[in-house]
Amino acid sequence: MLAAYGLGKSFGGLRAVDDAKLEVAQGSITGLIGPNGAGKTTLFNLLSNFIRSDRGRVIFDGEPIQHLQPHQIAQMGMVRTFQVARVLSRLSVMENMLLGAQKQTGENFWNVWLQPKQVIEEEKQQRERAEAILESVGLAHMAGAYAGALSGGQRKLLEMARALMTDPKLILLDEPAAGVNPTLINQICDRIVTWNREGMTFLIIEHNMDVIMSLCDRVWVLAEGRNLADGTPAEIQQNAQVLEAYLG
Amino acid sequence: MVGYLVFLAISTGIAALFSLGLNLQWGYTGLINFGHVAFMTVGAYTTVLLALKGVPLIIAVPLGAGLAALLGLLIGLSTLRLREDYLAIVTIGVSEVIRLIVLNEEWLTRGTFGVQGFPLPLATWSPNLLMRLMMIALLTLIAGLTFWRMWQWFSKELQQGKTENRFPVGSLILGMASSLLGLAVYVAGVMALYDYTYKAGLMVLLLLVLTVIFWQMERLARSPWGRVLKAIREDEEVAKALGKNVFWYKLQSLMLGGAIAGIAGSFYAWQQTSIYADDFIPLTTFEAWTIVVLGGAGNNVGTVLGAIIFWAYNTVTRFVLPALLPFDDARLGAFRVMVIGLLLMVLMMARPQGILGKKEELTLGR
Repeated sequence: MLAAYGLGKSFGGLRAVDDAKLEVAQGSITGLIGPNGAGKTTLFNLLSNFIRSDRGRVIFDGEPIQHLQPHQIAQMGMVRTFQVARVLSRLSVMENMLLGAQKQTGENFWNVWLQPKQVIEEEKQQRERAEAILESVGLAHMAGAYAGALSGGQRKLLEMARALMTDPKLILLDEPAAGVNPTLINQICDRIVTWNREGMTFLIIEHNMDVIMSLCDRVWVLAEGRNLADGTPAEIQQNAQVLEAYLG
Repeated sequence: MVGYLVFLAISTGIAALFSLGLNLQWGYTGLINFGHVAFMTVGAYTTVLLALKGVPLIIAVPLGAGLAALLGLLIGLSTLRLREDYLAIVTIGVSEVIRLIVLNEEWLTRGTFGVQGFPLPLATWSPNLLMRLMMIALLTLIAGLTFWRMWQWFSKELQQGKTENRFPVGSLILGMASSLLGLAVYVAGVMALYDYTYKAGLMVLLLLVLTVIFWQMERLARSPWGRVLKAIREDEEVAKALGKNVFWYKLQSLMLGGAIAGIAGSFYAWQQTSIYADDFIPLTTFEAWTIVVLGGAGNNVGTVLGAIIFWAYNTVTRFVLPALLPFDDARLGAFRVMVIGLLLMVLMMARPQGILGKKEELTLGR
């Protein structure tokens, strides 16, 4: 579903990502791990084109996407979250969710006047969808609150729920379990598994090995911007190179 | 007295219209536009110069607004891809460039001599009693809508006060003061309309345009379109990640805000009946900033209220201060501006969110 070949990006003299390869199969939960500074988040930014790559190709859903704008990639059905959860503080949790909905008639300036009925109708439908998703992540009671009033863990949940509102094919999660208490981590994992069963594909950066090992079908290991290994979680756990990279 | 109140109403209306454009750009979209007056200049000059060539006003005004929007497009295309502080620098530069062009291109704008004797709306019109009564009815309708909107706001305050177990004294005083001022302007307006003068007609026209634009801005702010703008203000990376074309929305905001400022420019020209390049100095932009900050950014009601307070202050100090202070005119003028600055500082300390802003928004973490 998503494939990247020969991706490279340098910041000055630093080769943050160097000739990296990555494949995400449809319907899978794929993990991306590596020591700090390995270039995982940079790779995410290259995949979603928040940062332009120097070299390489990215193919999503059979089409090359490295020349597209970030919002166009999101519209194609590949949505990302951020390492430090970014919520729209002075909008309500519900408004954060509604923003995620794609192809909204009312987001066109003229349609606000030309098709007011359809705008209201869609808004009602999206609101129901948003309520259902919020319910499933346990944030329904916060719908009316400012998103800025949420705790760190709740923000992670909101960000995931908001990504889901876009009805994506592939979600890129950047450290969904970082800074989240163990109970909430379990809850987040449950959600990911449930959504995966419903047909959503995931690519996850994570440092929490329990999360990676329990969730992922396949794991890619990055170190110093280069591919180190890839395989099933069990294979990776046995891989001497990986252990060395992590333990030093 | 009646004449002055009508003048006051028109000035307030123009300031409110002008600031509504800025509120869309900054209050809702977070674009730092320090050159808002450029849009007003383009709107004002386009309208009067076209009118002098015989173009009907009903066409000249939209053309002025359109050219102002085009200016917004040009500024946006060249700077919106850069970081937001660049927009602030470029806009203030553009507004000065526009003013200097107007000052120097004498073949087009008559330079320092200014433009006078251009056609005014409703100027040669002498309405019969029925028409005058209809205009009074229109004014009454607008006044009624305003009071209804204000009552809505106050009852909301009252509700909130009840849950927090306090009486909203500040809101009551504010409401009473604006009601009294509104009533005075309304009475003066009715009297001026009855003995029809050009300024009275202009006032009704302006209030009508202001009402319609205000209403549409409120509607836009609550629409999904407005939600995208607010999202861009909060964090444009998130908006991008959710598939919104941030650049295009920023352009739309800049253009629409510019077009509204352009319309305000037309009214400014009609009120002055003559315009000069030096009317459009950067101070005008910062007056609009004062108004938006005063009322509470991202709040259309607050913006209109800010304009009312700004002009009420202007009037009060113009008539009351000379009686109290032994200053000459020039010193008094400087003193009034100083007091505005001081008041703003006090307001920012006591109520950093503006008069109608929501306090809890300030305490939110990013």
